[in-house]
Amino acid sequence: MTSLTRSISRRSALKAGSAALLTLAAPTLVRAQSASLKLGVLTPLTGAGGFDGPRMLKAMQAVAEEINGAGGLLGKKIDLVVEDDQTNPEAAVRAARKLIDVDRVPVIMGTWASAVTTAVAPVCWESKTFLTTVSGADSITLLPHQGYLIRTQPNNALQAAKHGEFLLGLGSKRVFIMSIQSPFAAPTQAKLKETVEKAGAAMAGALIYEKDKTTYRSEVDQVLRAKPDVVYVNGYAPDVSVILRDLYRAGFNGPRFAQSYSVTSKVLEALPPEVTEGVYTVAPSADIQSPAFALAAKRLKLEAPDSYETQATDWISLVSLAIAKAGQAEGTAIKDAVRKISQGSGEKVYTAVDGLKAIAAGKEINYEGASGPCDFNEIGDIIDCKFRFQIVEKGQFKFLKVA
Amino acid sequence: MSPFLAEFVQLLLNGVMAGAILAVPALGLTAMFAVLRFPNFALASHATAGAFAGYVANVSFGLPLIPSLVFAFFFAGLLGLVSDEVVLKPFRAMGAITTAIGSIALTIAIENLIRFVFANELRGYDLPIARDMIVGGVRIGPQQMQNLAISVVIMGLVFAFLTFTRMGKAMRAVADNPMLADIKGINADTVARIVSFGGMGLAGLGGMLIGLDTSIDPLTGFRAMLSVFAAAVVGGLGSLPGAIVGALVVGIGEELCLLVLSPSYRSAVGFLAILLVLVLRPRGILGQRAY
Repeated sequence: MTSLTRSISRRSALKAGSAALLTLAAPTLVRAQSASLKLGVLTPLTGAGGFDGPRMLKAMQAVAEEINGAGGLLGKKIDLVVEDDQTNPEAAVRAARKLIDVDRVPVIMGTWASAVTTAVAPVCWESKTFLTTVSGADSITLLPHQGYLIRTQPNNALQAAKHGEFLLGLGSKRVFIMSIQSPFAAPTQAKLKETVEKAGAAMAGALIYEKDKTTYRSEVDQVLRAKPDVVYVNGYAPDVSVILRDLYRAGFNGPRFAQSYSVTSKVLEALPPEVTEGVYTVAPSADIQSPAFALAAKRLKLEAPDSYETQATDWISLVSLAIAKAGQAEGTAIKDAVRKISQGSGEKVYTAVDGLKAIAAGKEINYEGASGPCDFNEIGDIIDCKFRFQIVEKGQFKFLKVA
Repeated sequence: MSPFLAEFVQLLLNGVMAGAILAVPALGLTAMFAVLRFPNFALASHATAGAFAGYVANVSFGLPLIPSLVFAFFFAGLLGLVSDEVVLKPFRAMGAITTAIGSIALTIAIENLIRFVFANELRGYDLPIARDMIVGGVRIGPQQMQNLAISVVIMGLVFAFLTFTRMGKAMRAVADNPMLADIKGINADTVARIVSFGGMGLAGLGGMLIGLDTSIDPLTGFRAMLSVFAAAVVGGLGSLPGAIVGALVVGIGEELCLLVLSPSYRSAVGFLAILLVLVLRPRGILGQRAY
């Protein structure tokens, strides 16, 4: 019995071993034969980002296929080398090292969580590899990345500026902001103040509250003493729902404004409709009126690709165009060329393939993306982006505008 | 009333209301500590379980507020009885620390069980919401007054139980001197079961009272746990009147600090209170005598 088990296990071990050897050898053989251009993809396929990562990957694969169908990039087929960052900084750094050291990719596209991007970014800039990300934390573009990083997600300051403009558009003269204690509280409050005061309106006040309190009556009292005409509640769902109740009880009838991740459809179900009546919500949005958005939707066979799918579409398009513009697939070349094809007075293009044709014809181009105009400042943040505004009526969201 | 006085009275009132609601689960915690001699951290998940039981009674069965609260009490109480009998009782022979750590494991398990059934989303009770009244520059919420009244009635019932019933007296005897109580023929096991039922029932009531003013989710009890512990420790862990005094000190303290501090430091005041009390009066404001 024992010897039988052993002989089977030895045989299977042999089989497994040779299979593994073959698998290891196979890509090398393929790689040696085809002259492909390798681009790195590092999205979360598992973990907290496991919902968005695979969809971002699909969006990039669709663009790569389209480019390959139209003749490829620098005369080569694009080959996406995909690794899973597991929404985990430690796993992500290992995967990034593999992409850089083994696959020698000039670019890594796709980190999602801010903690992951913060860990992967130094690996990238140290080895002169370009990185594109959706992570939102303000600190990321402040890293000493020397230009090897761009992000297509609006940072807190850009969001706060847009929120301020919307509140001013409602005719607000005295704005109060109450923020949950968090890394985004102070930057949001500062930028909102700047935006509101530049337009001649005033901040009625600002406060930072603690999370996990069972009541915010005293905070609401403090807000009402300042006599604001609009209250921006900048927190998460559990606390925002308590504050909305307390504002209602205190008799505040003016507009209330919140991020749509804090006033979700579940929050509307949990609260009486009179409490949420007239609450405005905002979220970053893809540029749904842009031709690039319509083309991305068609390419992905989706009615409305979301913010992450459109951002992924834009990364691979920007990277391909920068490589074509520079004439070489190197991280430093991408870094130096990306702003030459993303902004400026060149001909507007809405897909990578159109852009590649224009570059081949010797034209200057300005890629306008599905997620937004894709114009970057010197630290790699987008300069402009669209936002989706909604209002709650009778316990239901009503679409207002994308602006 | 001058604006400053109005603000002071308002904060005092908000503090009394917050403290009264905090006092209900703090009573449960301290009662269990008095008899069983370990801090039962599973209080958090039992408060959540009570809040969800009340939610089922109120929203799914359409019961009004008071019957829903009764349901919350009995559900959390029974859950406490069963979980103590099955999980915590075997731990008790190993000492208070082991049992306390076991209760942390228990609370995580129950919390995730609730999450498994009800998911993570926020839920609200099906109760009408009323605007506040303004009396002399001070804002008074009819619902908060109602919750305050409910808390006061519950506290009254707890003390009546301890003073006038045989079982209540037996509980006090065990808390006071377990060995003497044993010699007098009081069955410690029965007392332990009653206190687990009553203590966790109070936790469940407290969870629902907190949820009435907010929304509930699987973390409702966990979020309130620190304040409940602070209240019980400040008053003197094991002293029932102490739990009420402690809850009022923590509730009023956290509100009045807003006169001079930013709201982001509110919890710090609760812990400062614990620190001060433990330094000046290590046994808590009212000491550790159960009653």
